[in-house]
Amino acid sequence: MKKFISAAICTVMLFCMAGCEQKKSETVPEFEPAPEFSPLTEIKEGRKNIYLIIKNLNSDYWDVVVDGAKAGGEDFDCNVYYSGCNLESDWESQSRLMDEAIAAGADAVLLAPNDSVKLSAEIEKVYSKGIKMVLVDTIAITDSYDVCFMTDNLMAGQLASAEMLAQLHEKGYSEDETVQVGVQVCATATQTINERLAGFLQFWSNYAPDNWTVISDIKFNEGDIDRGCQCTKDLLNNYPDIKGVFGSDNVSTTALAATIKEKERSDIVVVGFDHSPEISELINSEEYTASSVLQKQYNMSYDGVKTALDLIDGKQMEQKFVDTGITVVNSNNLNDPEVRKTLDHNRG
Amino acid sequence: MNKTITETGELNRSGSFIKMMIVYFVVCLIGMAVMIISINSLMKEHDKKLTGQICDLVAEKMNNSIKYMTTSAQNMSAMLTAQQHRDLQALYDEFADLEGDGYVSMGLIDDSGKVYASEQQLAEFEKWHLIETAQQADPVSISTPYRSGLTGEPVITLFADMKYGSGKKGWLFLTYPLKEIQNMASTETLADETEIWLMDTESNNVIQCSGGDEHGSGSWANAMLIFERNIDKRDVGKYNEWIQSMYDGKQSAGVVYRIGSVRYSQVYANINFMHGWNVVVRIPSSAMSSTMEKFRGVVILYIVTLLIATAGVFVLTHRRDVADREILKNLSIHDPLTDVMNRRALDVAAHNYFQNALKPECAVLFIDVDYFKQVNDRYGHDAGDKVLVEFAALLKELFGDMGLISRYGGDEFLIFIKNADKLKIESKVSDLKRRVHDIKPITIKEGDDFSVSCSCGGALCPRDARDFMKLKACADRALYRVKNQGRDDYGWYDGKKSSREK
Repeated sequence: MKKFISAAICTVMLFCMAGCEQKKSETVPEFEPAPEFSPLTEIKEGRKNIYLIIKNLNSDYWDVVVDGAKAGGEDFDCNVYYSGCNLESDWESQSRLMDEAIAAGADAVLLAPNDSVKLSAEIEKVYSKGIKMVLVDTIAITDSYDVCFMTDNLMAGQLASAEMLAQLHEKGYSEDETVQVGVQVCATATQTINERLAGFLQFWSNYAPDNWTVISDIKFNEGDIDRGCQCTKDLLNNYPDIKGVFGSDNVSTTALAATIKEKERSDIVVVGFDHSPEISELINSEEYTASSVLQKQYNMSYDGVKTALDLIDGKQMEQKFVDTGITVVNSNNLNDPEVRKTLDHNRG
Repeated sequence: MNKTITETGELNRSGSFIKMMIVYFVVCLIGMAVMIISINSLMKEHDKKLTGQICDLVAEKMNNSIKYMTTSAQNMSAMLTAQQHRDLQALYDEFADLEGDGYVSMGLIDDSGKVYASEQQLAEFEKWHLIETAQQADPVSISTPYRSGLTGEPVITLFADMKYGSGKKGWLFLTYPLKEIQNMASTETLADETEIWLMDTESNNVIQCSGGDEHGSGSWANAMLIFERNIDKRDVGKYNEWIQSMYDGKQSAGVVYRIGSVRYSQVYANINFMHGWNVVVRIPSSAMSSTMEKFRGVVILYIVTLLIATAGVFVLTHRRDVADREILKNLSIHDPLTDVMNRRALDVAAHNYFQNALKPECAVLFIDVDYFKQVNDRYGHDAGDKVLVEFAALLKELFGDMGLISRYGGDEFLIFIKNADKLKIESKVSDLKRRVHDIKPITIKEGDDFSVSCSCGGALCPRDARDFMKLKACADRALYRVKNQGRDDYGWYDGKKSSREK
């Protein structure tokens, strides 16, 4: 009898617990934490010390940021140290590096935050100690910083959209014919990517002819070039009227350019972001029509170092947000001095 | 309830209580499951309705916040118009250094399109083509959100037309942080669950004004990514209808859709003076469930407690019932004086035996205490009772392990013996005959040599009869023959009728 009653109570309890969700255990990522700071310039006594923390040590893009900071340090006579993460999601290492910079007596910190929200508290901590806080590339969701140098991604997206329209027109597509444009973005819908996409679609909705549409099936490549190539093939196969493709980031642009070249689809206009050999090859060829939006990340850190020194000297910044601008490179302007300068910074 | 009496005369209720409890629990569990399903269904319906209404309210509040801003701008421009200013540069110089109430910057535009503003603001006019938005003011217009260079935050700029000089048309503009709208529209209730966006109909772009993540304010996204891509396929049709009504210029509409296991209510409402833009509010239906879930938890807890308590009461009642039945059973099958079985119980047990045994093999002994009436008459009823009690005890001692003993009448006892062994029975009866003389009435006087004796008649099955009634009759005949022959002896049924019967 007791067994029976116990069983009945257990059954009732099971009923009650049926709705409870089991929490999934979180997996711990395995990666090397950020290394300690290394000197980027010659270290001299009596000079101001600026610490640069970048998002990713294994990236051509971030190498250019380091180049800019190094040049800034040399040009404006200060000591620059740098470090960064091995993974762009590793915001904990950046938090640790900021503590190390405080302990080392930093006069200013240049930070490209890996997480705009989670690092806000640490940024506020640095700022509260009177250390000048300069953000580069990515803004943080806090007021406790002095200035941010970055691309206005909404505007960059608009300019990419304008470039797409201009190139489609130049390619000879009429406003009456049906033109479809495919969009590919990298894995995580980050704020940067969202703003570029929003800018692209905003401009497109305002200025594109009625028959020219953006395919609503936006492709995600999850940051993987092979997957990006497959996504591109899907777009080419499923949408016969596709005449343009837009990549919101380096991986997407590389995948789009490589697939367009492989499939020899010279009828398709490619507009993407950042510099890579694949997009560069299309831009340089006479057969294909391609453009890339280059950010001025060199300027972000170069100007960042200069402004940090000004702030240390007590100067006030009128602006808190500085759009470092972009350069659209295509086959028509490849040899313009301004474009050449940006390409040189990008080692292109 | 299924009652039976065993061969030994026990009352049985085979598994009836367990069966009843199983039925009870099954009914209760089914009832509870039905109740939970009903509550869940009611909660869903309630959540859907309520979240839709809350979305409407929040959208209206957002729209009112924007309206408050535009009305403020309109009032200011009306005031400036009334003041009949001639020189906008002089007017701008007057308020250029004023600290704004919530706004980031303020300035003027003359009829030629010249902007009177800070250098930073001028750069933003050029960058975002704000002059085009100003020219749409009738009497007010609002720009698309953009990031302010002054603050680094997303902002919107409001334009209100005004008159200056000799009837020239100009514009006053005020730039507000996007979060200013959020602050005006914010509500403590459901603040974490309510997501608010401004959405551009043409591009499907959305900019977040409020959401679970307070830092998410001002972030851009596109409806194709955050809504369409994630919505459950079953609800895509409803969502498409919703967005189509937005394209068609309908003032507001609502939709309910699922993303994974979460059900959302979402509404949009047009924003006045911000052409093509809408306020979109979304609340997960579960947001309303927290209170109801507590209520559901209390109900379930109450029912489970009730169920356990009822089961406890059942068990206690059952135990008391078992004890009562034990007493009743004893009363119903035992003779209260001698504590051997009563006549009814033995009859039932013997009949059961004959019904269930394929080849019955048994014996029946009728035993009378000789001259028992004299015992009562000479020594009193208490003495008679004592004789009966001691006589029954002697029967139990001798025959207790062989068969069932019952007090069949006043001084008449019947012993029913299964698998009867005649010699063994005779041996026991001889012992009885010898030892019964030791029983003395309680009030016997000195010199009184009265001793109790008994007479016994037996019959065997299947030798003498094959059913209990006949067997009893045979044993009875044997007993009478012994009595006729002088008592204090025993004898088996021999097939002859007794002299009394003759």
